[in-house]
Amino acid sequence: MKGYRKYFGKKLLWFVVTFIVAVILNFILPRLMPADPVASITGKLAGGNSDASAVAEIYKRYQKEFGTDLPMIQQFFRFCKNAIHGNFGLSFSQYPRSVSNIIASSIGWTIALQLPAILVGWLLGNILGALAAYIRKGYDKVLLPIALFLGNVPAFGMAVIMLVIFGVYLKIAPISGGYAFDMIPHLSWNFIKSVISHYQLPFWSIVIISIGGQAVGMRSMSIYELNADYVKYSRFLGIKDRKIVGYVFRNAMLPQVTGLAMSIGTMIGGALVAEIIFSYPGLGSTMYSAVTSADYPLISATTLIITIMVLVMTFLLDIIYGFIDPRVKAAQFE
Amino acid sequence: MKNTLRQVFHSSKFVAGFIIFVAILLMMFIYPLINPGNPLQQIGVGTFAKPGTYVSLYDATKSPVSTFRLPDAAEKRLGTSLSEEDKVAMVEWFEAVGADISDLDTNDTEKMLEMWDEYYDPSAKPKGMIRAKILYYGRLDKSLKEMGGSDSISIADKNEEGELEETKKILDTDYVNTKDVANVKTLPLGTDNFGRDVLKELVSATGTSIRIGLIAGIVATLIGLTFGLLAGYVGGILDDIIMFVTNIFTVIPGFVLLILISYSIGQEQRGAAVVAIVIGFTSWTWTARSVRSQVISLRNRDHVNLSKLSGHSLVRIVLTDILPYIASYVVMAFILQVSSGILSEAQLSLLGLGPKTTEVPTLGLMMNWAMLYSAHTNGSWWAYFPVILTITLISFSLNLMNTGLDQVFNPTLRD
Amino acid sequence: MGKAMLEVKNLKTKYITRFHEDVYAVDGVSFTIEEGKSLGIAGESGCGKSTLALSMMGYYFAPLHYISGDIIIDGKNISGMDPDTVRKTILGTEIAYIPQAAMNALNPTQKIIRFIEDVVHAHDPKKDKKEIREMAEKRFAELGLPAEALNKHAVELSGGMKQRTVIAVSTILNPKVLIADEPSSALDVTSQKMVIKMMRELMEKGYIKSMLFITHELPLLYNVTDDIMVMYAGQLVEKGSAEQMVFDPVHPYSHGLMKSILVPEEGTRGQKLTAIPGAPPNLKRPPDGCRFAARCKYAKPECRYSAIPEKEFEENRMYRCLMGVDELREVYGNE
Repeated sequence: MKGYRKYFGKKLLWFVVTFIVAVILNFILPRLMPADPVASITGKLAGGNSDASAVAEIYKRYQKEFGTDLPMIQQFFRFCKNAIHGNFGLSFSQYPRSVSNIIASSIGWTIALQLPAILVGWLLGNILGALAAYIRKGYDKVLLPIALFLGNVPAFGMAVIMLVIFGVYLKIAPISGGYAFDMIPHLSWNFIKSVISHYQLPFWSIVIISIGGQAVGMRSMSIYELNADYVKYSRFLGIKDRKIVGYVFRNAMLPQVTGLAMSIGTMIGGALVAEIIFSYPGLGSTMYSAVTSADYPLISATTLIITIMVLVMTFLLDIIYGFIDPRVKAAQFE
Repeated sequence: MKNTLRQVFHSSKFVAGFIIFVAILLMMFIYPLINPGNPLQQIGVGTFAKPGTYVSLYDATKSPVSTFRLPDAAEKRLGTSLSEEDKVAMVEWFEAVGADISDLDTNDTEKMLEMWDEYYDPSAKPKGMIRAKILYYGRLDKSLKEMGGSDSISIADKNEEGELEETKKILDTDYVNTKDVANVKTLPLGTDNFGRDVLKELVSATGTSIRIGLIAGIVATLIGLTFGLLAGYVGGILDDIIMFVTNIFTVIPGFVLLILISYSIGQEQRGAAVVAIVIGFTSWTWTARSVRSQVISLRNRDHVNLSKLSGHSLVRIVLTDILPYIASYVVMAFILQVSSGILSEAQLSLLGLGPKTTEVPTLGLMMNWAMLYSAHTNGSWWAYFPVILTITLISFSLNLMNTGLDQVFNPTLRD
Repeated sequence: MGKAMLEVKNLKTKYITRFHEDVYAVDGVSFTIEEGKSLGIAGESGCGKSTLALSMMGYYFAPLHYISGDIIIDGKNISGMDPDTVRKTILGTEIAYIPQAAMNALNPTQKIIRFIEDVVHAHDPKKDKKEIREMAEKRFAELGLPAEALNKHAVELSGGMKQRTVIAVSTILNPKVLIADEPSSALDVTSQKMVIKMMRELMEKGYIKSMLFITHELPLLYNVTDDIMVMYAGQLVEKGSAEQMVFDPVHPYSHGLMKSILVPEEGTRGQKLTAIPGAPPNLKRPPDGCRFAARCKYAKPECRYSAIPEKEFEENRMYRCLMGVDELREVYGNE
């Protein structure tokens, strides 16, 4: 147990350090922008106003509001202090809503969509990959190239194809939004039904994408394990093949947990874009509207939130992995 | 070297991927020779012209006429002008007046019209049918009568007095040879929302996207290789620092960094090359890690020690004793990076953070335009599907090559 | 003569490669091990000795395939038996196997005791887990292994411990025949000694009734087993007691093998080691005549076409050569 505490401590330290770096990058990068963001916003808001002094007045007000008149380091601490209190300032494009308000209303949608979709895709992909490795014949010649091909369809492409086939042509499921556009979110059967039917297409397109990549990886991992010495040895001790296959899949599956931890950042990227295609009211769509309307506090906050989500997921997976795989335990816990 | 290449080309996966990729490259170079010109030129007015061959109506009326009496011409004419909705409405009418529709084929236009003549009665008021619908059937009947009605179209011009005077009569048996028509334009993939030739645009975009992928791959591989070599070979504090940075950038999602940097650069500065370099800058960690672990295992091999004892310089040792041994890994990582670079560009463009839109098309920009103008909901599949297919094929071919190489260099995975 | 525990008669097996070529790795091998005896098999890598070990289990999976011959364990012929019956009633209980690379023989993510449970349950599904644990603890204690090892994962054990655990697990059901394929080759000298000691104990305490020990180190066999066979290119070339095989080999290949390894005895320091020139024949198309002829310095033209039968001589000895025993002794005596 002592070893585990050490492992946990080490991982936690990494988590904190990475988190700090992420926050700093999140703060610095937008500020390296060649153009003064406040000036460009002022220009946009001032619109046709040609009164120079009025424009200057607006500019000053914004400068104060965003604190760009302060030195960099002071700005940073202010940014951190506010961020801890969940205060990311006001949104430009959806003025006078606050950024944290916008994010609060979209983050739930993203988590509810992506977490189950990625996990289900991961699980199904692993099962299919394991089966493929076990059955081998036939699969390899026909299904593997198909699986490889499907695995290379980009997430947004799969989203568009699913949308067109099931939404536009077959009209099985609605094609955009998180719920019917004429509804106001509230707790009722009709609303929940609407949410579920809107959930289908984004969910399955992310699932299918995750399956492709996982299945191919799991297949080669399982083939590798099937040739391991312990398989032969267990067979010669009279253990049933079915039981041995169980060993193999467990051993092949465990490294896939790391695979999930490593790829979750990439997967989220694809899944966010899938959200945009379906106009799903999550962070992806929020980010898109922030980008198109140059809403710079909102972009900064969404990227930060996404980073934190990925960091937490990776951290949790690392911890779980260390706990369930004795190979890592032996190597890391000492 | 020669032997390795031979082995690589024995891998069916690698060869399949290689052939697909080369085919795409050939297309990229050959098509502009057949169909030169600016891919962003707006040839069409209006959005999303269907794929097909367009014949200039103006020129066609002036072309020499041949007469054909084709037995199914009338039926075809009706078939194309009778819309799917009209057919459904007709069937609804038949149902409402109690006709037998059990063996009715809606594609059999002739039969449909026959039945219409038999069952349609303008004075009938089927039960439960609203007035607007009855009026609609009146209009439908009229247009059906017109379709089959006349057997000629008159072309009239204003004469000197400013009155219309028939100059030409076009009969329903008149045909022109497309070779005689001065202006015929074939658009295999139609036009996009701006009225551009999609195929021409696609070929040019594929080229740009592959270049973006290559630049991103080269940048990422160079950074990753340098860091990996330094960390692995020099070791010590340098290793610690590099691994610290690498670990951090492995965990922070590259996509988020990409968004932040692209946004910070600003729309004006964001050319295709800049986007490519930014993508490269955010995706080198994997190469750095794997190169480092390879180098560490090589560092104490006998041939490296021998070189060290012989007093060879660091550069020489790295170039002659280390690099050849990790070359296969680096090539494999590079291939994957090219493929993920192309994908990253597409995702960025869909977010509105792609290369600036006025210079060159990229696959991501084409996708972005198609989505912005709702090609997916209005049935204009040619505007987005070929783009998705191209991206998939490129990344499929690159991944196949990578798997093939993996099987050659890591024989445990060999089937 | 004691009761025969393992009898192998004219066993032939082959590998089918992924290019669908047959490789005759074990080509007509016959021998007997009596109760309480141990037999060693020596030969260079690729001579088929590991394949012979696998072939004797009576349980085949690709790429290894059975062709013909009998394997009789304590009077029961297991060749030609239904694989599932072999699995249930023979493997682990009648005949057990210790693999070449014990390092990876245990499932890395499973606790040792769970694996033992699986092994026992494969033959007796109703056996109580508590009973199994007691049995395992008792056996581990008797073999001088710490009981804590049972609750560990394979990755947490050291190399020597892993090997000894594998031996203990393999023999947990008291098999009549134990086949050990280079069980100590990858270990350091101390662990090697412990492994050898353990194998002897297993025999002495009667947990196993006979043993087949495979190695490429002849001197090790001299210390471990009663009899020794030398194998070359899928066939046996000579057999005799350990004493005879080391000090009075007959077959030219046995001579070569003896000269190519170091025997740590007095007076051998400074002795020159000589390798056998050439390489073993390709077993996809084994030669018609003597398989060693191409590398034998006393080979005659007729060696190359006529098949050489096994020849018995003296008591309990056999060799496979065209030349007579006296002739061979004379030739090598003059060297």
